Amino acid sequence: MNDRITKRTGLLLALACLAAGSLRAEDVRSLTKAVFSIPSTTGNEDLLAGKIRGLLPRGLAIEEDGLGTVALRFRGSGGPTFLFAALDGYGHMVSGITPEGYLTLDRPSAPPHARFDAYLLGQPVVVSTARGPVQGVVSQPAMHLLTQERRKTLVENFSLENAFIDIGVRSEREARDKGVELLDAVTFWPALTELAGEKWSGPSLGQKAVAAVLVAVAGSLAKEPPRGETVIAWAAQTKAAARGHGARPALGALRAKTKWNPGRTVVVDVIAAGKDGTAPVLGKGPVLVLAKDEPAALRQAFERAAAGAGIACQFLAAADSPLALPFAGPQSEVLTVALPVQFLHTPSEVVDLGDLEALRDLIEKYLRLGGRQ
Amino acid sequence: MTRRLSALILAVLVSGAAAADQSKAWDILREIVLVPGVSGHEGPVSDFIQQRLPAGFKAQRDGMHNVWFTVGSGKPHILFVAHSDELGWVVDKITPEGRLRVKRGGGLLPETAEARSVLIHTARGPVSGIVAPRPGYDERRQQADVPEAPFTAENFDIFLGVSTEAEARALGVAEGDPITPKKVLVDFAPGLMASRAIDDRAGCAALLDAALRLKSDAFRGKTVTFAWDVQEETGLIGAAELAKTLKPDFVFAIDTFVSTDSPLESKRFGYLPVGKGAVLRAVDSSNVTPKTEIRKVMAIAIKRGIPVQIGNSRGGNDGSVFLSGGAVDIPLSWPGSYAHSLIEKIDRRDLEALSDLILAVISDWK
Repeated sequence: MNDRITKRTGLLLALACLAAGSLRAEDVRSLTKAVFSIPSTTGNEDLLAGKIRGLLPRGLAIEEDGLGTVALRFRGSGGPTFLFAALDGYGHMVSGITPEGYLTLDRPSAPPHARFDAYLLGQPVVVSTARGPVQGVVSQPAMHLLTQERRKTLVENFSLENAFIDIGVRSEREARDKGVELLDAVTFWPALTELAGEKWSGPSLGQKAVAAVLVAVAGSLAKEPPRGETVIAWAAQTKAAARGHGARPALGALRAKTKWNPGRTVVVDVIAAGKDGTAPVLGKGPVLVLAKDEPAALRQAFERAAAGAGIACQFLAAADSPLALPFAGPQSEVLTVALPVQFLHTPSEVVDLGDLEALRDLIEKYLRLGGRQ
Repeated sequence: MTRRLSALILAVLVSGAAAADQSKAWDILREIVLVPGVSGHEGPVSDFIQQRLPAGFKAQRDGMHNVWFTVGSGKPHILFVAHSDELGWVVDKITPEGRLRVKRGGGLLPETAEARSVLIHTARGPVSGIVAPRPGYDERRQQADVPEAPFTAENFDIFLGVSTEAEARALGVAEGDPITPKKVLVDFAPGLMASRAIDDRAGCAALLDAALRLKSDAFRGKTVTFAWDVQEETGLIGAAELAKTLKPDFVFAIDTFVSTDSPLESKRFGYLPVGKGAVLRAVDSSNVTPKTEIRKVMAIAIKRGIPVQIGNSRGGNDGSVFLSGGAVDIPLSWPGSYAHSLIEKIDRRDLEALSDLILAVISDWK
């Protein structure tokens, strides 16, 4: 009888675990979908910040840095451990309105690579105005009218000089009547493509997925607080570089360092995958990036967490990224834990859902173990 | 009471008649533009059209998927023809890494497909893919003075999310499957949109709408053929097949007018603004419409109060195939910005004017 009860209980527990596992698996996916279509470029992070605030557990005070960064603190002993991800992605903004009602473009920050602007040619885009999204297209020459010379100028050497957004109006006044103003964010059409092999693709998907991972972690910590004090932050203006002599850290990261001054920082970032034989690949787990000559304790703690939870990880030695730079120093530890992203910084960034869930699980496991051991 | 009831019945009848006469071309377009139909693979579009043709008109369909029907009898014989195919690619090969190499479909700027979603239309349904960005897209070029290799359909490949040929085949993908860019309907405002394949689904929609609104007294004493032909984009092939059996006196090809209503084009020619009416495409790369016929069309349009613009631009049209058979080619259009792109633009008023013009020509042409 007892045996039966034990078996039944075991079965029920197993089913419950399966259901819980399934729910958790859904969790970060649905969160990613929830934030994916929210435009967020440097200086225009408010919509995504608002969305994330709405997704965060209630009852916890949200901290800010005045630049647009949103953070959540979980009290505990020791620490704090500071986890942060970018709130902003690369994108464009309205820089002018022609008398004919076409919008001209600029970038709030340097592009991630030289071809970044070229992806705009002939594409649907969304202009995020204070009155809501405005749909538009980036003009391209008609194929029937394209000479070799014009192809060279307008296609092969396409630049923001030739980028005009058509929003279907005929004058500057009509454009303004739609709510369009200078500095409005311009982003690619937010179409999420579900590929085979449990992969998703879309513009700025990597950054949004990483932001969603931290929302999922925050939700989990609200139910079961971590052992050590933990601050989770979604940092604004990380694509803008701080000026001055020497290496240029990300402005948002520098600001966060000043505001929270953590001794231990985990940067949750994206990293290019599938580029060559040495680069990380999709589907093989999160990537631990460690700069040379830095203390290895944080990485070792993550390795132990991964081993304990059976999470496969990839490892990469690289210089500190602009996000990690402000946190590196003799009195502090920093580690970048990254989501591998194929076709990074194109309109079709590809992420593996297994990597996404493993990243969330790894961070949670690390926090549950309490960091240093 | 009886008077009131009669008035009510009359009002209902009048409004019903008006509703039946109301153009539905815009709604048809928003559906048909999403139906896949790469040149040589137009079956689904032909099905769409055939299923919606008016009851009582006996449609014919050949092995190429050309669809047509003829009403009336006598002279003149007037043919309206719109092409049902669209630009795209076809799977040429599946690599050992599970990526797809494609056969060039022509007409689209490959650069606008780079790092974009596509749909592979397999026998088991659509499969999503991404046109892989060029290798080293995010790296600084080592030899900036050496021209970069062009990004072409011949050298790009499509990533499906899998890593072996077997996995790709397990999705149902096979050589010969047609591929289209994933379409998006960009709504600038009610009645103004952009999408891939407006060329020539707008023509198909206008023609289908006219067929649905056609009244039997309109074609008394003449023969009228409505045709939706295939493989226009790859060389007017479907039209050539139709021309073997159809010998019209007048052919009205219904296709895009390549307008220079765009910030990137010279306004030296082809500047017919979007939203200002249907178009009589008087001169293009395949046909010069006689002035006498231009005047006839314009007289009909003026009489009926239909806004029509006249212009010259580039590109060929299906009607030109019938020239050698003795027909006069009078292409009718709408002003289309960004022709052969993912963002072909169209105004509802132009489309409805085009449908009205087709009906007016049927009724008044002599």
